[in-house]
Amino acid sequence: MNPSLKLTLLILIALEVSFIQVWSVNVALIVVSLLLMLFNHVSWRRLLWLTLVPLFFASALVWSLMLRGDASTHFLIVIFTRMFVYVYMGGWFTLTTKPLWLTRSLEQNAKLPSKFAYGFLAAFNLMPKIQAEVATVRAAALMRGEVLHVWSPRLYFKVILAAMNWSDQLAAAMTSHGFVEGAPRTHALTVPLLARDWWIFGISLLLVQVGLFVGLP
Amino acid sequence: MKRWHIRDIILVTIIAIFMGVIFWAIGPVYTILAAALAPAGLQPLANELLLGIWVMAGPLAGFVIRIPGAATLGELLGAVVEMFLGGIWGASTLISGTLQGFGSELGFILTGYKRYGWFTLVLSALTTTIVTFIWDLFRSGYAAYHLPFLLLLFCVRFLSVFIFGGVLTKLINNLLVRAHVLKD
Amino acid sequence: MATVTIQSLTYTYPKQSRPVLDHLSGTFPTGKFSLLTGVSGGGKSTLLKLIAGLLPNPDDTTVTFDGQPLNAITPTDRAKTVVMLFQEPSTQFTMDTVENELRFALENQQVPAGEIADRSDAALAFIGITDLKFRKLMQLSGGEQQKVALAIIVAMNSDVILLDEPFASIDPPTRLVLLEKLVALCNERGKTIVLADHDLSGYQQWVDHLAVLADGHLTLLSVDETRARFAAFTPQRLQLTHVQLPSDQLTVCLQGTALGLAHSNRQLIAPQSLSFYAHKTTLITGPNGSGKSTLFRALVRLGHYQGHIAYRDTDIKKIRKRRYARQVGLMFQAAAAQFLNVTVAEELALSQKYGNSTYFTPERVHALLDQLNLAGRDEQVLYSLSSGQQKKIQLLCMLIMAPEVLLLDEPLKGLDYASIQAVMAILKTVQHDLDLTLILISHQLSGLDALVDLHLQLEDHQLTYQEVRA
Ligand SMILES: Nc1ncnc2c1ncn2[C@@H]1O[C@H](COP(=O)(O)OP(=O)(O)OP(=O)(O)O)[C@@H](O)[C@H]1O
Ligand SMILES: Nc1ncnc2c1ncn2[C@@H]1O[C@H](COP(=O)(O)OP(=O)(O)OP(=O)(O)O)[C@@H](O)[C@H]1O
Ligand SMILES: [Mg+2]
Ligand SMILES: [Mg+2]
Repeated sequence: MNPSLKLTLLILIALEVSFIQVWSVNVALIVVSLLLMLFNHVSWRRLLWLTLVPLFFASALVWSLMLRGDASTHFLIVIFTRMFVYVYMGGWFTLTTKPLWLTRSLEQNAKLPSKFAYGFLAAFNLMPKIQAEVATVRAAALMRGEVLHVWSPRLYFKVILAAMNWSDQLAAAMTSHGFVEGAPRTHALTVPLLARDWWIFGISLLLVQVGLFVGLP
Repeated sequence: MKRWHIRDIILVTIIAIFMGVIFWAIGPVYTILAAALAPAGLQPLANELLLGIWVMAGPLAGFVIRIPGAATLGELLGAVVEMFLGGIWGASTLISGTLQGFGSELGFILTGYKRYGWFTLVLSALTTTIVTFIWDLFRSGYAAYHLPFLLLLFCVRFLSVFIFGGVLTKLINNLLVRAHVLKD
Repeated sequence: MATVTIQSLTYTYPKQSRPVLDHLSGTFPTGKFSLLTGVSGGGKSTLLKLIAGLLPNPDDTTVTFDGQPLNAITPTDRAKTVVMLFQEPSTQFTMDTVENELRFALENQQVPAGEIADRSDAALAFIGITDLKFRKLMQLSGGEQQKVALAIIVAMNSDVILLDEPFASIDPPTRLVLLEKLVALCNERGKTIVLADHDLSGYQQWVDHLAVLADGHLTLLSVDETRARFAAFTPQRLQLTHVQLPSDQLTVCLQGTALGLAHSNRQLIAPQSLSFYAHKTTLITGPNGSGKSTLFRALVRLGHYQGHIAYRDTDIKKIRKRRYARQVGLMFQAAAAQFLNVTVAEELALSQKYGNSTYFTPERVHALLDQLNLAGRDEQVLYSLSSGQQKKIQLLCMLIMAPEVLLLDEPLKGLDYASIQAVMAILKTVQHDLDLTLILISHQLSGLDALVDLHLQLEDHQLTYQEVRA
């Protein structure tokens, strides 16, 4: 399915699910997402992780609501299953969508300005450097006799300076590689947007609406 | 008003990732806190206590970049990155991210993107708290809590957002101003 | 093809009183390889950025390409006129893989989709890195990244190529390969190349006039003067003549047992036993990406490693982090990573507060600053210093801390010849006076001979001590 449409679908359903309390729809969504994940060969470790974490947080939340609130059982079930809807649907999405392909699709199909698409990618690809930098800053401070905590302004100061430095360098490099904001570009690879994608999109949304309508008390 | 340039877009994304990395670094604290508070039915408190760090990317981006939309974009991109890095809350992260960002953006909108000082920060902390709290009333079913507990959650959240998104952001801002990378 | 002409270019950074470039004039002719040098902070990077249009130039008629200012060229054609290759290899890419980055650059130039693949392949083949096509950029070594950057420039077919210390962290063999490719671009394709460098080794056969940037002016040296400058970088000057194999009398300070290093499933150093000796200066050399910096990070507990590391017979994992950090210090490869404050004075004050303050008295520090040509910069913001100036401040800060073992990752990167001499003299004195253990990584060997006692070479995943070869 076209990644932009897939993302739209995901967000629309998540929004609806957040406001409407129909547990049967939640369960249906969980089952469908689970099947889609299995169909796409999700690893067992990942699936276990995607199950245990929400299990803990959903149970803790439900327990808290029981102790400190006056929610009905129906409401508690809705809240409990809702957490799994988010996680499983998200799991299916990230399992089947490559960030690069999504960004290309957003640029080509959703007409996102290319500066956003490639600016984001450039930063995203710096990930390993960014992760190492936080550890480096803290270690450098230790070697000078200072301890940096999560609440130390200097930790963030250093991190933002590094960010500014890298963004200057990356922006200069993009310019040097011929990138001009707002200028037309060619596309070596095109992301298809087929009639089939629209059909899947429409029918899925429709099914959820029907489910919500039928399930409402 | 300033427009978005490629450098700003990269900068806001890197800041968002950095905040994500720092937040992950304290991830175990969150889990332990949540687990410790859960038996007493106080798990949401863990969330409220640490929420400030999580929403800090918004005011920080707003202060550093000073372009309309910076705070929102900062938080939203943070959420996108988190989603692809194996953060498990999926689309819900995206929605929360947008709302958190928009919450702090409101503070800047209300001051017309002209004042970058204490007043804006306090205002932004307040709007962030309100917007995200309304969202949690629905999403996490907070509406079902008894009123006193709800008030407690609200106050803790405000304090956390104020300390990290307000006080800490201001201190960081002061350093950046001294380093000539930001205007006063 | 384009000749770059600079006429009376003056540039002052915002909020600074003195101009960095002062009515500077010069030409970089078509099809020529021009080598630019000058003291640290002389303004080489500033000049190159102005030519490339990466710094806003107040008067755009001062820099012209075949008579045309950059602004007169349509934005999409600018990259065809001038490109820049940067000093820091890892922050010059937008995409994840080599193939995608080439695509990105060519799409920007609006090359029709059908031609992109062929042009990419041809460029990779020209540089000789076809096998890197599908690799992830972030997992390449610095040298490989610079080769990719060069391949992209070849694919984009730009007329003027500017390079700002492109070899600062590149190992000597790779440096030679890259240099040959650049010369080929000049001779075979008529490109105009301007390259800024401090380390003049390897250029002699290609360059007859050296351009020196000093006091805001550009001077072209005569053939004889140029030769005199190159003399300090002849291969004979780059040899280590004092190193010996470690003897039994030496005390071990850091001991690795079955020590191995890996990064994402790739073994960098195969498990081996490794000793570092106290009160000596050890030099580590090895190709780009072989794992030298990774080894240093492991020694200061900043990364994973296999096996054990002991410091004075105690496993370093059992020593408290804060204490250990004061005993074994690391001068990072990137200077800015070391700084914690805003101004030069604050940074030095922090080191003096926690460091060895009986030796590094204010007078001594002052003298050292003088020696490093950094006097009078107390109130300057650290991050606006030139790369060489930052490196020198970084070194001073770590020396003042005077940890028992000081690891130095590329301490000479980006330093001019005079600064290298000064740094060597300082390192030698301080090491002698405080009896420090120094371990350093360096690609550049000029001036190191007098300082180094032991030489560790990293090759084929193995670190071995070397002695002077006959
Ligand atoms: N953004 C800036 N703001 C203020 N001053 C600056 C800035 N960037 C550089 N300078 C100053 O301008 C001078 C020239 O710097 P530049 O980086 O061009 O030197 P360089 O010749 O490239 O030096 P190096 O060989 O060390 O890289 C230096 O004295 C530096 O401190
Ligand atoms: N965080 C990381 N994740 C994955 N790979 C990494 C990471 N950091 C480094 N590497 C890889 O490990 C290898 C060794 O890197 P290292 O920086 O230790 O090399 P080096 O010997 O210091 O090279 P140089 O001379 O270029 O500084 C490189 O190929 C690099 O791409
Ligand atoms: Mg420079
Ligand atoms: Mg290295």
